Amino acid sequence: MAAVHLSEAEKVYIIHGVRDDLRLDGRGCEDYRHMEIETDVVSNTDGSAKISLGHTDVLVGIKAEIGKPKPLVPNEGYLEFFVDCSANATPEFEGRGGEDLGVELSNTLYKVFNNRLSVDLRSLCISPGEHCWVLYVDVLLLQCDGNLFDAMSIAIKAALFNTRISKVQLSENEEGGKEIELSDDPYDCMRLDVENVPCIVTLCKIGHRHVVDATLQEKACSVASVLISVTHRGTVTCVRKMGKGSLDPESIFEMTEAGKRVGKSLHAPLMRLLQEEESLGQKRQKVGFLG
Amino acid sequence: MAGLELLSDQGYRLDGRKAPELRKVQARMSVFAQADGSAYLEQGNTKALAVVYGPHETRGSRSKSLHDRAVINCQYSMATFSTAERKRRPHGDRKSSEMSLHLKQTFEAAVLTQLYPRSQIDIYVKILQADGGNYSACVNAATLALVDAGIPMRDYVCACTAGFVEETPLADLCHVEESGGGTSLSLALLPRSGNIALLQMDARLHQDHLDTLIEAAMTACKGLSKVLDSVVRQHLKEVSVLTRD
Amino acid sequence: MAAEMRLPAVHKFISLPTTSQSQDDKQLVVPGEVITSDTGFMRGHGTYMDEDRLTASVAGEVERVNKLICVKPLKTRFNGEVGDVIVGRVTEVQQKRWKVESNSRLDSVLLLSSVNLPGGELRRRSAEDELAMRDYLQEGDLISAEVQSIFSDGALSLHTRSLKYGKLGQGVLVQVSPSLVKRQKTHFHNLLCGASIILGNNGYVWLYPTPDQQDEEAGGYFTSLEPVSLSDREVISRLRNCLLALSAHKVLLYDTSVLYCYESSLSHQIKDILKPEVMEEIVLETRQRLIEHEC
Repeated sequence: MAAVHLSEAEKVYIIHGVRDDLRLDGRGCEDYRHMEIETDVVSNTDGSAKISLGHTDVLVGIKAEIGKPKPLVPNEGYLEFFVDCSANATPEFEGRGGEDLGVELSNTLYKVFNNRLSVDLRSLCISPGEHCWVLYVDVLLLQCDGNLFDAMSIAIKAALFNTRISKVQLSENEEGGKEIELSDDPYDCMRLDVENVPCIVTLCKIGHRHVVDATLQEKACSVASVLISVTHRGTVTCVRKMGKGSLDPESIFEMTEAGKRVGKSLHAPLMRLLQEEESLGQKRQKVGFLG
Repeated sequence: MAGLELLSDQGYRLDGRKAPELRKVQARMSVFAQADGSAYLEQGNTKALAVVYGPHETRGSRSKSLHDRAVINCQYSMATFSTAERKRRPHGDRKSSEMSLHLKQTFEAAVLTQLYPRSQIDIYVKILQADGGNYSACVNAATLALVDAGIPMRDYVCACTAGFVEETPLADLCHVEESGGGTSLSLALLPRSGNIALLQMDARLHQDHLDTLIEAAMTACKGLSKVLDSVVRQHLKEVSVLTRD
Repeated sequence: MAAEMRLPAVHKFISLPTTSQSQDDKQLVVPGEVITSDTGFMRGHGTYMDEDRLTASVAGEVERVNKLICVKPLKTRFNGEVGDVIVGRVTEVQQKRWKVESNSRLDSVLLLSSVNLPGGELRRRSAEDELAMRDYLQEGDLISAEVQSIFSDGALSLHTRSLKYGKLGQGVLVQVSPSLVKRQKTHFHNLLCGASIILGNNGYVWLYPTPDQQDEEAGGYFTSLEPVSLSDREVISRLRNCLLALSAHKVLLYDTSVLYCYESSLSHQIKDILKPEVMEEIVLETRQRLIEHEC
């Protein structure tokens, strides 16, 4: 991540503040920054979403293409993730500088979604063993101010909610092979059920306490963090420990419990917001970047 | 390509425009708070985001810095979801490197680099949606971002594409018109002096038509410069009202 | 715990109550626009000569001082002048000098001969002093300094030859645009609300708890790592959010405006200040008070 240098005295100030449950901007240890979410920002994708979490800006675009299912699971489709850490965020990401971080982020996403519950992959199947829908989820990092994983996962959930995949019809042609016809009607499409899509919560250990939604300065003071992805029911799909330092088992347990609690509470407001946005329908004034 | 008429008998193009008409341009400056300058520009369905960092000390190798002027460093990249077919790599392929070089060349002509010896100015442009005129959208967005960052320039740099169909020059080509196989000319212009910063043409064209094509592109660029001018003035008015004490 | 999400709102152009000065006497120019063709004027920053015509090179306001015309851009990197107070971060320790990042176009330089030695001795710097440089200032440390001179390529040369400058201890750094910091006689203020502030001309603002009397004589070598009390922390966090709110709405920063903003924000919780509607409300109140204060 873009590195921020802090002096020893500044780090001490932050650590003492976290101990007293008062962070630099007045938040408590489990408060998120101001979040703004919008879907359907890029028009030639099948689904898209943009999130601003404090100064972190992430744009997600989803394209659905027809491909061959994986040999081991012939009646399921699959998701492909790609994270692009663009130079817009910081000059350090120019050229190949952002590749390492991008690969780390996409690998984590694969782990988080690698289970039967998150997305109903069977609904992505067209004809078993031959055709299925492949969803390419592309994440674009525009501004970086800490807490990339959380912002990404919320944006992906919003984009999946927004995704519209056109319905297909299978027909047989003269030689006996299958032909796929895409429905021409733009409104005749299938939506995905995103109830069980998990959200990632990153907890950074600072001193003896942990904080949620750490900024870059707070990240510079923490030695290790725990990443946990939680669904709306509280089911955990992935736990990872990241960072250079080591954690004792009690801290990991505490942080996992806190992460489950915080993660569970993210889903309800998000779904409410997405439903509200959808109910505005055509009347919604699209803000995007022009607002 | 079969059956697609780029210019109908009544003089209308595929999207309903007349031959010299430009697409709708909307733009906004200061989109990101962390960068020195940023801008977002939409030219029809093409959307470009430009971010400027600098001028700052040359990072990395000291040998890159010039003793008498600033180094301009550009990177052009496209979002993987920007094209109709998904792009595998956002940047690093030959097309992107070529575009980055063109952008660098264009802005070296316009930015007063001799005011900033030993510094570096970074310009990063990202295409969020590609529908023809990628280079032009990038140049226009980058101009706005440079103005936002307060970097001195001789003049705006406006860019536009032009094509030639059935003896008529078309201004501001969209993706279908560009990929049709006909002539496509990209032009970057400094409007007040009329100097050309970059000129590039693909495909064959009879030399008699070259002048009309360049004229059409220059007129289109001048039209664009008026739009950019109004965006900058609007932004100036908004912000300068607020800074008065 | 709280996670508040909302839909983005369209940015509105806030029209302010106009003061006695009318809008028209400010000339706004864009790059490439001719300011005047009269050759009697001298050209300052932000302009260039294009065949005898004085043309603007940045977008901003035209300032005319007698025969000098310059254009002040809205947002730019810090252009230092002799005597400016800056807050900077040390990026490199080199032979006999430190490189300080100060939001300008080149990193500033702090020479070993421009800092005070411990104990206030006045002597030539020896080889031991050179080896001990890192004990005083390391990479990542924050300092407050004054611009002594400017090198030919534009880099600033700093000095900390006064007891009020030197290494900074515990506190919070806020980064705003340099054009928002008002030039005043002094940039060090002990605010009435209970914290102290250093408004660097380069846009870096340092907030710290007001030191007790005896610490002031230490001269910047000793940084206390004692925990700061909770009440001081609350004041500093509130001030930080107020500064961010003021800079987002492009209000000029000086001790009075910061204090008024702090007072207007007391009715809200600290973490709520950064919400867009609360920011607008606080800034509007601050502006009203500033206008009344002037009249």
